[in-house]
Amino acid sequence: TGDSASAGASSVDDAPVTVFHDPENFNVKHPLMNAWTLWFTKPPSGKGDNWNELLKEVISFDSVEEFWGIYNNITPTSELALKSDYHLFKKGVRPEWEDLQNKHGGKWAYQFKEKKAINIDALWLHVMLAAIGETLEDENDGEVMGVVVNVRKGFYRIGLWTRTVGKPLPGGGDGNNAGGKGRSIEQGKDVLMKIGKRFKESLGLKENETVEFSGHTDSAHAGSTRAKAKFTA
Amino acid sequence: ETNKPIEPAQPTAGMQALKSARFLQVRNEMAIYPEGIKSPNPALNQGGKSKGRQYDKDFLLQFQEIFKEKPAVDWDAKLKETVGDSSDSARPQSAR
Repeated sequence: TGDSASAGASSVDDAPVTVFHDPENFNVKHPLMNAWTLWFTKPPSGKGDNWNELLKEVISFDSVEEFWGIYNNITPTSELALKSDYHLFKKGVRPEWEDLQNKHGGKWAYQFKEKKAINIDALWLHVMLAAIGETLEDENDGEVMGVVVNVRKGFYRIGLWTRTVGKPLPGGGDGNNAGGKGRSIEQGKDVLMKIGKRFKESLGLKENETVEFSGHTDSAHAGSTRAKAKFTA
Repeated sequence: ETNKPIEPAQPTAGMQALKSARFLQVRNEMAIYPEGIKSPNPALNQGGKSKGRQYDKDFLLQFQEIFKEKPAVDWDAKLKETVGDSSDSARPQSAR
């Protein structure tokens, strides 16, 4: 009976009109579980600029529609200069090891060394969608802090930052939460492994391609030598 | 009138819709999509606290070609300030 897809004048105020019905007159949007902030690292100019000037907060958002408005109007990763990064982090968390919410954490990461053989824009998009769609972890895991893509000379790297390395944190409480004493080392590891597997899946990697987990402090202290991976998936 | 500065750009209809739209109650308002559009995977949203705010990739990808509004009228300027042009990021910055 007629076109229920159009936002007819007769429709009740409250009747949901989605962006699929009418991209110019929709009245409902899809809420995300968390608000997210997109950050960008500018490549250094080579004049000793400090990190704070290079790390820029681009925009925060909390709906699916907003995400696509941003994604469809921002430079694709494939067109960024070398030494650029995009970071998509939960709002309120700076994408740095030093942030209080990151300093006891770690990251899952994968390096794509054949830059021309992959579609980095699609890969980064799929990881962002897994993050904002909240399919990387289960409800009470509380580990995912954000995702990052690094554009480098010999590779692209995509990472997923976690709150912990699977161990209780100072002030992490007694519960079965990320960093809580109620989550055993065994359980903590299982949670991280599950997240690693989902991360790998979101990147569409083959069985024999492994993602590696390392703690931020391990990486920081490793200096020029590569940090030893704690887990692989 | 003539010496007035240029009128600031007006937000588009899509930008205004995004701003005024209310949050959908995903779990209670399923099955509202036009024919051919998939709902979020219901299996993702049966849990207690998720409030129906988990979305699978296939659901999310459906928006890609549908919503392309810039986040704000001054988006291009903002983008230039943060992400910059890919051409200009490699250029040395002027001395301070």
